[in-house]
Amino acid sequence: MAAVRILDDPVPWPAEPVLDQSWPSRVDLKQQVIDAIAAPILAAGAVTENERPWLLLCLDEVIVNAMLHGNEGDPTLLIRTAVAIDAGTWTVVVADHGEGFSASAVPDPEDPDSLLLEHGRGIRIMLQWLDQLTYYQRGTAVVLARHRPGAT
Amino acid sequence: MPSCDFLHVQAYDGIVLAKVAKERLLDAAAINSLGEGLNQLLDRYPKISLVLDLSEVGYLSSAVLGKLVALHKQVKTLKGRMALAGMKPAILPLFKVTNLDKVFEIHAEAQLALIAYRKKPL
Repeated sequence: MAAVRILDDPVPWPAEPVLDQSWPSRVDLKQQVIDAIAAPILAAGAVTENERPWLLLCLDEVIVNAMLHGNEGDPTLLIRTAVAIDAGTWTVVVADHGEGFSASAVPDPEDPDSLLLEHGRGIRIMLQWLDQLTYYQRGTAVVLARHRPGAT
Repeated sequence: MPSCDFLHVQAYDGIVLAKVAKERLLDAAAINSLGEGLNQLLDRYPKISLVLDLSEVGYLSSAVLGKLVALHKQVKTLKGRMALAGMKPAILPLFKVTNLDKVFEIHAEAQLALIAYRKKPL
């Protein structure tokens, strides 16, 4: 399983994105945002049909986090999303205007005390499938990446 | 009956089978509706033997896991019990990676959970 990284580095926006779009932090737009990000990845065959639930789940986690936790649901604040696809990997970048978070705020699922918390499982779930999950600028931006089927 | 229109409930001999008849449990409205529907079940059957059939669910978010954990805690507080059943292969790993497979009683099919509960009445 990949490990989550939280860096202070600048956000590595892709040089040649197939999508680079900003959206108001409105949860009613969530599905539209997810579909817009997923469409070029699926159209390129960069995620198999069997893996579609994982892609949608990961996108749901980061879009909800950016809109509701990062931007606190303020519709005047935008989230920026970008998608890049190359021969070996697809990459999604999502950034918000929040204050970020620290690694210590992420519950450890191995800790019995955190097992019955009602939140804090999103990162663990995403790490199960993604090859890379890296947060930048204190957690206000996240990069998700996974090798394409057959790529190494 | 629950207000959640995709939660189909049947009661058999004190055992409640609740089927989540929705493929995508991702949007906040659906998740909240499910939470309300499940809470209403506990109001109606406080010491519940609940089998939650997830066989039609193909997509869910971590927020749903949170709702299920909250429900599990309530059920335990009320001295009831609950089982999850019928999860698709794409869903089960979410429970394993979060160690929730150790929290929930999980059955391959709802009928197997019903049989197990009938054998051991509360």
